[in-house]
Amino acid sequence: MLFKTTKEHEELRKAVRKFAEEEVKPIAFSLDQNNEFPDEIVKKMGENGWMGIPYAKEYGGAGLDAISYAIAVEELSRVDGGVGVILSAHTSLGAYPIDAFGTEEQKKKYLVPLSKGEKIGAFGLTEPNAGSDASGTETTAELDGDYYILNGNKIFITNAPKADFYIVFAVTTPGIGTHGISAFIVEKEWEGFSFGDHYDKLGIRSSTTAELIFDNVKVPKENLLGKEGQGFRIAMQTLDGGRIGIASQALGIAQGAYEAALQYAKERVQFGKPIAQQQIISFKIADMATKIRAARFLIYSAAEMKTNHENYGMESAMAKQYASDICLEVVNDALQIHGGTGYLKGMDVERFYRDAKITTIYEGTNEIQRVVIAASLIGKPAKSKSKGGAAVAGKKAGPITGERKREIFKEDSVKDSVDKLVAALKKDGYDFTVGIDMNTPIVDAERVVSIGKGIGSADNLKLAENLAHAAGAALGCSRPVAENMKLLPLERYVGMSGQKFKGNLYIACGISGASQHLKGIKDASTIVAINKNPGAAIFKNADYGIVGDLAEVLPLLAEALGMGEKKPAPPMKKVRRSKPRKLAPNYGVYVCTGCGYEYDPNVGDVEGEIDPGTLFEKLPEDWVCPDCQKEKDKFIQEFYSADRM
Amino acid sequence: MYTVRKVTDDLYWIGANDHRLALFENIFPIPRGVSYNSYLLLDEKTVLFDSVDWSATKEFLKNIEDVLDGRPLDYMVVHHMEPDHGGAVEEVCLRYPEVKLISSEQAFEIMRQIGFKAIDNHEQIIVKEGDTFSFGAHTYAFVEAPMVHWPEVLLSYDLKDGVLMAADAFGTFGALDGKLFNDEVNFDRDWLDDARRYYTNIVGKYGPFVQDVLKKAATLDIKYICPLHGPVWRNDFGYIIEKYDKWSRYEPEEQGVMIAYASMYGNTEHAAQALATELCEKGMTNVVVHDVSNTHMSQLIADTFKYSHIVLASVTYNLEIYPVMKNFIMDLEALNVQNRTLGIIENGTWACTVGDRIEEFVNERLKMVDVLNDRVTLNTSLNEANANDMHSLADAIIESMKNIEETKAKAKK
Repeated sequence: MLFKTTKEHEELRKAVRKFAEEEVKPIAFSLDQNNEFPDEIVKKMGENGWMGIPYAKEYGGAGLDAISYAIAVEELSRVDGGVGVILSAHTSLGAYPIDAFGTEEQKKKYLVPLSKGEKIGAFGLTEPNAGSDASGTETTAELDGDYYILNGNKIFITNAPKADFYIVFAVTTPGIGTHGISAFIVEKEWEGFSFGDHYDKLGIRSSTTAELIFDNVKVPKENLLGKEGQGFRIAMQTLDGGRIGIASQALGIAQGAYEAALQYAKERVQFGKPIAQQQIISFKIADMATKIRAARFLIYSAAEMKTNHENYGMESAMAKQYASDICLEVVNDALQIHGGTGYLKGMDVERFYRDAKITTIYEGTNEIQRVVIAASLIGKPAKSKSKGGAAVAGKKAGPITGERKREIFKEDSVKDSVDKLVAALKKDGYDFTVGIDMNTPIVDAERVVSIGKGIGSADNLKLAENLAHAAGAALGCSRPVAENMKLLPLERYVGMSGQKFKGNLYIACGISGASQHLKGIKDASTIVAINKNPGAAIFKNADYGIVGDLAEVLPLLAEALGMGEKKPAPPMKKVRRSKPRKLAPNYGVYVCTGCGYEYDPNVGDVEGEIDPGTLFEKLPEDWVCPDCQKEKDKFIQEFYSADRM
Repeated sequence: MYTVRKVTDDLYWIGANDHRLALFENIFPIPRGVSYNSYLLLDEKTVLFDSVDWSATKEFLKNIEDVLDGRPLDYMVVHHMEPDHGGAVEEVCLRYPEVKLISSEQAFEIMRQIGFKAIDNHEQIIVKEGDTFSFGAHTYAFVEAPMVHWPEVLLSYDLKDGVLMAADAFGTFGALDGKLFNDEVNFDRDWLDDARRYYTNIVGKYGPFVQDVLKKAATLDIKYICPLHGPVWRNDFGYIIEKYDKWSRYEPEEQGVMIAYASMYGNTEHAAQALATELCEKGMTNVVVHDVSNTHMSQLIADTFKYSHIVLASVTYNLEIYPVMKNFIMDLEALNVQNRTLGIIENGTWACTVGDRIEEFVNERLKMVDVLNDRVTLNTSLNEANANDMHSLADAIIESMKNIEETKAKAKK
């Protein structure tokens, strides 16, 4: 860019500035006071062609570069930071993922109206337990025929509930962290999709922010964005660009505050001259302008890199972190220059002061920006690839069946314990007026009462059958009960080598909990353990438990659940939990033409003193192949097929 | 002139066929033998392209003499210095004192490492990417093809007749036995399996480099491909290039399943056969079954490159993967095999751990190989309790085939 924007950039700036001053400025105070979303303003921005600045003309966009987009956000924020973020969230969070990862159909259906400003976009990643760390995502999307069923909630979502289309991140494969997250395009009008209250925020009050609530929302399969398991990658790539928007917002707020302070300092006379002529004020102004200029260059440079498809993640993090940090300093000084006047409602600096704070928080806190920057500079600690590490890797820590409630009922009498158990099960939603045939195949059963060696002898089988009837369950057993005791047929034993239980309620009676058995029930929603040995492994793998003799507990439990006729249970939905396909690395992988050595950024090159986490592109120019000493520029890049990207 | 054939008017095949060698590179069985191809050009200058293995040198020298018919040998071009082609380089130097050598810098280094002292009495012309050399009517352009499959490899291209001297690229096991051209054999029926076994085991690891060469070759108007082993291609180039493209991108040739089992007493074998039966019953009949203990590794590797899905059925051995099976999956890593879907059948009589071990290995060491969740666990032998899991595995394989097709279709958009 040669440190200068183009004529076209400045013409766009002029147009947006004119619009902001004429249309936004007069109502900015009232929007702020009333916590009001400027529908008309947003509509006009669409008509002006500013809602899709960086997107191709064929998809309704303006076909301009990232600097143009940054300028638009900056100029809106210079007048009203809330209006700035409406454009930023819409463009870089709502529309970008569709532009970058959408199919042709998705682009036509969603990107075109977004770019034209006919529809508003938003992005739903943050949850109560998943902020900076997306691996805590709890919203789920389960594939059921032609639809994904979406459940969960998202908080602090900019542009909700005004937005029409939402990019929503949800877990499609549980238990594998961020690799199990997928992205979806969700429409506002769909059944089961509702919103919490519009938050009452400190600043940016003209933008709307709300909670998204998904209650069995049916998302058509074709609205999966990218591939299953690609969600985290989509989110991270989106946020790389989003940071340019927020940086521009911070820059605009700082610029607005600075200009107001400069003007005020020239007008306000004390000690016989404008305070701007006081050195202490003039130095403040000099510092403010310097910081703003530095921030602007950081932002435009990152934006230019984005336009040129360079690797710009670190640079956009620097821009966001720096621009928002100095924004707080600038608005603070600007208000200080205004003195008591600045502290009053109705003054722009008062609003700028409040609007500024969010920019160090959202779209990656500035703490996370520093993590991104530092990781890019320093690299990550080496992954343990030693043989010792490898042997335990992949095994989940903790009980085989995963984290369970492990609530053991120890009331004064066994009857009281049984009643507590039944109450807990009913509270969890189990309906014991319905039931399935006792001989339902284990894999098809929604509930199973299962017996282990603790059942003792065939004489006690009746107790288990009664309980199975009362619980509306099928009857199963452990391997020894089928194989050695022969109380039930072989195809009724549950375990890794036998039948796998994938239903909801599993009542283990007299089962100690051998690992191969536990592996066969790890998908159960609720596990109940009844065993006379309190040290049995089954208790560590159960949600509820009663320590006691089967002969005593089983009849009481059957009675408490009800021995009457059961209505037929509704059919159980079976969900196949298939893992997403692995994705190709999203960084360049290079191989040596001298020997075939592959440079792995996760490992680095210990002998060459290259830290793990160093991308090939960032290797020093004089780095050579550790195996054959070929020069860096003799490496070629590996190719990956589109269906793995 | 008994074993010489004409490639073009002035280019001759003067190589040799070897039926005595049992193991190529002392590792790969070659029941159909192998050919060592060498070519001789009679232009204003005479040019020998590569030599042959030492074992075939006597016949090779006779062929040179016959074709030269009294003319001196002016140049010898060495594209690849692996001893099955470079074996007779020094001998040629000794017999033709005026011959000038043309090769890459590193190939000359390798000649010295081998101990070919005589080469230093000859002019050595080092050529690099893009260099050309005229022998009269024919001008050859040189292309570097590093790591296909050695670093010193050169290819050359005759600008007049469109002949590509391809070094080990497009080579195959199998003796020519008189035939020379691809259209003189039924390649798909009689040669493809050996060509695949040759490529995947010898060049398989170097897919990115082959892709690089294919890109360069795409700009040339090729009329002949002269590899250093196997038939000369003079038509139907799309057929062999498509194979190379797929192999080097690690894309399966076919949607199908290779079941490789490691069985000590036949129980795991039975499960492997049961899965094959079920897959065929369900309509997926493109299935092969191999016993890893008596199928050569090179065959297992070749079929891994061929099919989209792999099922490993193994017994637990010392709480680990059965040794022969372990060798196989370590070779998968060594050859950079990627982009496959894998199912597991595990067997153990007292502590069945092999499935976890295989899955860990695949997840940590192989690239983009997806392990299906639907694992079958046997306690010694297949019984009625396993029926559901066997169905699930077969269903999961078939379902994943559909899903991959869908993903690929979507990615194309």
